[in-house]
Amino acid sequence: MTATTPAAPSAAPLVQLAKKHAGWFGPLVCVVVILSVIPFLGISVPDVLIRSCPLLLTALAVAIPARTGLVNVGGEGQFVLGACGAAVFATAVSESTPSPVAIVVIAIGGIVFGGLWAGLSALLKVVAGVNETISTLLLNYVATLIVAYAVTGPLKDPEAANFPIGSPLPDRARLPMIGDVHIGVIVALLLTFAVAWLLNSTRWGFKARAAGGNPIAALRGGLPVAALIVGALLLGGALAGLAGALEVMGPDGRLRQGLGVGFGFLGFLASWLAMHRPGWIVAAVVLIASISVGGDSLQIDLGLPATSVYVVTATVLLVVLGWRGTRSGEHH
Amino acid sequence: MFIEDVFAGAVRYGSSVIFATQGEVISERAGVINLGVEGSMLCGALAAFATASATGNAVLGIIAGTAAGALLASLHAFLVLWRGANQLASGLAISFLGLGLTAALGVNFVSKQITGLGAIEIPVLSDIPIIGKGLFAQDALTYLALVLPFILVFVLSRTKWGLILRATGERPEVVRAYGYDPRRVRAVAVTIGGALAGLGGSQLVLAYTLNWVENVTLGRGFVAVALVIFGAWKPVQAALGGLVFGAALSLQLQLQARGVDVSIWLLQMTPYVLTLLVLTVTSRRQSQQIPEGLKAVFGGSPS
Amino acid sequence: MKITRPARSAAAFSAAAIALSASLAACGSDDASEADAGGAKKATIGVLYVGPHTDFGYNQAAYEGIQELKKSMPDVEVLEAENVPETAEASRVMEKMIKDGATVIIPTSYGHYQPALEVAAKHPEVNFLHQGGPEAVKPNLGTYFGQIYEAQYLTGIAAGLSTKTNKLGYVVAFPIPQTLLNINAFELGAKSVNPAVKTTVVFTANWCDPAKQTEAAKSLLDQGADVLSQHQDCTKTIVETTERAGAMSVGYHADASKLAPKGWLTGSVWNWGPLYTKMVEAALSKDFASSPYAGVYRVGIEDPTIAIAPFGASVSDETKAKVEETEKAMRAGELKAFTGPIKDQSGKVVIPAGESPDAAALESTDYLVEGVVGNIPKS
Repeated sequence: MTATTPAAPSAAPLVQLAKKHAGWFGPLVCVVVILSVIPFLGISVPDVLIRSCPLLLTALAVAIPARTGLVNVGGEGQFVLGACGAAVFATAVSESTPSPVAIVVIAIGGIVFGGLWAGLSALLKVVAGVNETISTLLLNYVATLIVAYAVTGPLKDPEAANFPIGSPLPDRARLPMIGDVHIGVIVALLLTFAVAWLLNSTRWGFKARAAGGNPIAALRGGLPVAALIVGALLLGGALAGLAGALEVMGPDGRLRQGLGVGFGFLGFLASWLAMHRPGWIVAAVVLIASISVGGDSLQIDLGLPATSVYVVTATVLLVVLGWRGTRSGEHH
Repeated sequence: MFIEDVFAGAVRYGSSVIFATQGEVISERAGVINLGVEGSMLCGALAAFATASATGNAVLGIIAGTAAGALLASLHAFLVLWRGANQLASGLAISFLGLGLTAALGVNFVSKQITGLGAIEIPVLSDIPIIGKGLFAQDALTYLALVLPFILVFVLSRTKWGLILRATGERPEVVRAYGYDPRRVRAVAVTIGGALAGLGGSQLVLAYTLNWVENVTLGRGFVAVALVIFGAWKPVQAALGGLVFGAALSLQLQLQARGVDVSIWLLQMTPYVLTLLVLTVTSRRQSQQIPEGLKAVFGGSPS
Repeated sequence: MKITRPARSAAAFSAAAIALSASLAACGSDDASEADAGGAKKATIGVLYVGPHTDFGYNQAAYEGIQELKKSMPDVEVLEAENVPETAEASRVMEKMIKDGATVIIPTSYGHYQPALEVAAKHPEVNFLHQGGPEAVKPNLGTYFGQIYEAQYLTGIAAGLSTKTNKLGYVVAFPIPQTLLNINAFELGAKSVNPAVKTTVVFTANWCDPAKQTEAAKSLLDQGADVLSQHQDCTKTIVETTERAGAMSVGYHADASKLAPKGWLTGSVWNWGPLYTKMVEAALSKDFASSPYAGVYRVGIEDPTIAIAPFGASVSDETKAKVEETEKAMRAGELKAFTGPIKDQSGKVVIPAGESPDAAALESTDYLVEGVVGNIPKS
C-alpha cells in the first residue's frame, strides 16, 4: 500500500477504495452491459443467473489451483461426484429437519465428495508424483461412471420403477428462491468475492501464488509446497462439488445421469478466458451462460438441436484464445 | 466360445478408438496435446456418413471423414502453435465446436441409410480358435486399425520422420539445429492426429453403426486421450488400451447374457482405474516417459 | 484507468457474441411471426420429444401422432421441440412454449415428468398431458400410456413360429416394468406356439447409443439368435444390424419394415393420432380436470392406439393367420397376454393358474419369466 498525499480530505479514502477494487470495474461493466442487452434478444436474465451459478464455481475450481501452478481439468468429475455426495447426504435428512439445516447438510455432502475427489489427485501427486492434469482428467471418467452406478443401483429412486434416476429431494431441501432465481446464485457470487480475497489478500493466497509462480524458488524458500498443492486442489474440488450440490438442490431436484455435463469443461474455459482472475471469471461466466441460455430457443425457433449453441460458445472462446496469444507462438 | 465372442466384440467396439489413440500418440509425441480429438472424431463421422449417404460410396466417405478430422485439428494446431493458445483450453473448445457443428449439420442424416463397409472374412485364418473371429473377420478399416500401431512403432523408431517427430517432442532445439522447424513438425503431427481421429469416426459410422445420431462417439475422443497415457505414449500399448475399452463392454454384454450379474459401470471403469494404478506405482519412471514438450502443458510444479 | 488487453478482448467478443446471438434470435422470431401471420389460430399447444423424430422408434411414433393431430385440428398451432433432454432444460423449453402462447403441453418422455410437474405448479392455467408418467398429482397434469406389451405378445407368436434356431434376442435399456413386461409378453407369446423357444436379453443401459446397440445385437446374433426385438428409443441400428446378418426383426414403437425388406416379421406400434386428438380437445376445453385424461389414463389392446405393424414379405400365411386370430381374441377381451400359471426364471409361480392381473398390478413387475435368459442387472 503506497502512501498517498492527502488531496481533498473526503475523497482520499474513496479514491483509495476505488483503486483497490479497480480490478472489479471492468468485469462489472461487461456484466451490466450483457445483462441489459440480452432481454432484447429474448434471453431471460434469471435463467442466465441460474446457469451462471454452477459455472462460477467450476471456474473457481480451476482458478485456485491454477494460481498455485496446478492444472485442474477435473471439474466435470468433481461436480458430478459432489452432486452424488449431495444425494447421499440427502438420505440423512429426515422429515423433521428444518429447511436451512437440510440445505447446509446436503451442501456439505457436495463439498466433501467434490473436495475428496480432487484431494485424491492431490494425494497421488504429492505421494506418488502422478501429474495432476492427467489424474484429474482420468478421474472425470471414473466419477461419471460412479454416478451412473449410483443412480442405477444404491441411490436409485425406489418409486421410479427401476428408471435410472435418483430419489427426488424433499421440498424442504430445495433451494429457496428470490424472485425467479435461487439463492445458489448469491452463494456463488459471495464465494467469488471470498476466493478473490483469499488469493489476493491472505497469506495463504500469497504463498500459493508464490509456489505457482516459481515452484523451485518456493521450495528453496521453505514454503510448504506439498501442503499448498493439497490445499488448493481440495478447495477447488470442494467448490466444484458444491456446484453439483447446488444444482441438485436447485434446478434439478434429484441426481441423474447427465447432470451438469459440460459444466466442468465450460468452467475450465471460463477461467482460462479470465486468466484465472475471479473478477473476470464473473464476466466470462455470464457471457457463456448467456450464450448457453440463448441456445435453448434454437430448437423451437430454428429446429436445431440445443447442442448447436456450442458452435457459438466455442467460436467466441477460440477467437479470444487466438486473439490474445503471444505472437511468438511459444506454447504455455 | 465365450472368450472368442468377448475378444471379437472387444475388437469391434474398440477399433474406432484405436485410430484416435494412434493419432493422439503422434500429436503428443511431437509435444502437443489435443483434447479436440472428440471434435475430430465427430466431424469425421458426420462427414463420412453424409458423403456415403449422398454418393453411395463408402470409400469417398472415408476420405471425407479423414479430411474433416484433419481440418478441425489444424485449427487447434494454428491456435496453439501460431497464436500461443493454451493447449488444453483450445482442445476443449474445439471439441465443443465439433459437437455443436455436427449436431446442427447432422440433423437431416439421422434417418438415412448407407451401404457401409462390409466385413471381409479371411478364410482359414478366421477359423483359428479364440482369436480368429476377432482378428480375421472384420471390416477393412478395423484391419488397418490392428496393423497401424505396429506401423507407427516402426515409423517412430526406424525412420527419419519418426526421429524428427520424437525429437520435436523431446529436444526441439536439436531439431532446429538440423534445419527443421519444430513448429511445422508439430503442426503436421497434430493434423495427422486429427486425420486419424477422423478416420476413427468414419470407421465408427461406416463400418460399425451405419447410423448417425448427434454425439455418436459419446466421448471416445476423450477416452483416447486417457488411453494414450495408459499406454505410456507408445502406439501398441495405447492400442491395447483401446481393446481394454472395447472388452469392458463386450465382457459385460456376454456375461450378462449368460446370467452373470456384473455392473456395466464398474467394468467400464477398468481402463481408467488401471491407468491410475499403473501411474501410481511407476510414477517416477512414468514421469520420465512424458514427452518433454508436454511437461510444460501438464503444469510446472514439482511433483 | 487502463483498460487491459483481456478487458478489450472480452468486450469485443461480448459484442460479437451478442451480435451473433441477436441474428440467431432475429431469424427465430421472424419464423415465428410469419407463422402467426399465416392465419389466425384458435389455440396453441406445445410438444416435447426427447430425441429426433426420425428415429424409427419412440419419438417417430409420437411425431406421427402429432402430425395426424395437426390434420384433424387445423386451427391449432403446434410448437414442437425435439432432442429435449430430461433435465431442467425441459422446464425451460416448456416455459418458452407457454410464453409463446401454448395452453396445452405434451411432454412425451418419461424423464420430462419432474420438470413438467414443476412447470405445471407454476402455470395452473396450462394443461399438461404427460406420456408415460407414473401418477397425476396435479389437477392440470394427466398422464397417459398404453399396454403395448399386449401387442408384443402377438409379435412373440410371429417370432416363435418363424425362428429356426429357437433362440430369440431382446436388446433393452433398463429393467423398468414396461421393458420387463415387453420381454415377458414376447417370450410367452413365442412359447405359446413353440414351447422350446428361449429369449436372451441384454441391457445396454442406454436408450439410444448406436454403438452399444450394434454390439448388443451382434453379441446376440453371435449366440445364435435369429429373431431380434428391442426396447430402445431409436430402432434403426438394431433392425439394420439384424438384417445385414440375415436374421429376422421384430420392431417396436414404429414400423421400420423398410429397413429390413427380407427379415422384417412385424412389430408393436403406437397409433397415437386419434388418442392425441381426443386428449388435446379435452385439454383445450374447460372440462379438462373432470375428463379421464386429467388422471392416470391407460389404454389396452382393445383400443386402436395399440397395434401391430404390417407383416413382412417372409412371414408365412399360417403365421399370419395365427397372429390375426389371436389379435382378434385379445381385442375382444377374450385373451390376455399374462394369464396364469406363469413362472419366473427361478421356477416360482408368480401368476397363479387362471388369474389375469390387471394393468395396474402388472405395472410393478420386477421379474423375468421362465424361458428368458439373462439377469435383471442390479446396477
